[in-house]
Amino acid sequence: MEEYLPFVSIDIWTMIFTWANLIILFLLLKKFLFKPVNKMLAERAAEIEDSYKAAGIAESKAENMKAEYEGKLLSAKAEADGIIKTALETADRRSDSIVTEASDKARRIMEKSRKQAERDKKNAVNEARADIAKMAADIAEKLIGKRFGEDDDEKLISDMIDRI
Amino acid sequence: MNGPKVIFTIPIFGGIKVSESIVNMWIIMAALAAASIWLTHGLERRNPSKKQLALEKLIDMLYGMVTDVMGERYIGFAPYIGTLFLLSIVGSLSALTGMRPITADLSVILAWTVVTFLLIQANNIKNHGIFGWLKSFAEPVPFITPLNIISEIANPVSMTFRHFGNIAAGLVITSLVYGGLASLSAAVFSRIPNDFFASIPIFQVGLPAVLSVYFDLFTSFLQAYIICMLTMVFVQGAGE
Repeated sequence: MEEYLPFVSIDIWTMIFTWANLIILFLLLKKFLFKPVNKMLAERAAEIEDSYKAAGIAESKAENMKAEYEGKLLSAKAEADGIIKTALETADRRSDSIVTEASDKARRIMEKSRKQAERDKKNAVNEARADIAKMAADIAEKLIGKRFGEDDDEKLISDMIDRI
Repeated sequence: MNGPKVIFTIPIFGGIKVSESIVNMWIIMAALAAASIWLTHGLERRNPSKKQLALEKLIDMLYGMVTDVMGERYIGFAPYIGTLFLLSIVGSLSALTGMRPITADLSVILAWTVVTFLLIQANNIKNHGIFGWLKSFAEPVPFITPLNIISEIANPVSMTFRHFGNIAAGLVITSLVYGGLASLSAAVFSRIPNDFFASIPIFQVGLPAVLSVYFDLFTSFLQAYIICMLTMVFVQGAGE
């Protein structure tokens, strides 16, 4: 025997069950549907906020580093310029001194060889004079047939040559 | 036309009759809870799946609607409105599976609208104090008080009959059409000597489906939307 409630009726127990069900479903959906989704959405919003913040920090950091590197680059350039300048100066100085030294040396060598030549010339002249005096004494002896003291002859002739 | 069938009787307080509406509601609640658990399983903050995107869109629409209609300060009502909407629409659409829609039971809808009525009064008291609430019935002039009380009570009553009437009427008309088409089939094909073929209600194919688009799909959605919208508007209005 199937029993039916009237088509249009107010059944208080159905209403009580409906209220209970409404509260239960509300709690179920809140726990299993709205809470997880809202939690995820809040976490996502926080994550996006965080990444924006991190990006801002990274940007300012990069900006600082760029400025720092640019400064460093400028000072490095100045330093390089300085190094080149000193190097050039040193090289200049050194080349000057090398040139001076070389010319000194050359002058010294020239001087030495000139003195040597003078000495040689003098020697040659003295030698030649001695030879000539000897020759002249020999000739005179043969002509006169007499011989002076050997030393006197040569001295006499040598004086003569000097006077010529 | 019968009302909801009594499924079983709890033998206390002189026998509590548990009807089809309540049992079907339990089935719907279980389905909604299971669907919620499935939908919120494995939510990702990054690279959400299509399932999650759809879920987020729906939740967003619900919160957006509550914010638009009630304002930011009533955002806490969104889960209740969502619950009411889901229970109403799934309760009506369950007719498509052959279940008796829970929204075709006057007691069920009345229970919901009584909750709305209580929320309206509670929000009025919360915003205006108990004397402000009592005074609001005597405005603009004291002798209009009975009319104000009637209009206040008429709210849940009219909401109840609107929702119940639409779904119940759909149920009745659909049943009538099915019955009529069966009789028509029987009258036309009774000449066929084969009893088996004569007993097939061939005219039931087609027309009921077209009617169902209006009575089940359209009306279900519309009534769920209306009961939620009116609840939001009345509760918000009571706080002004």
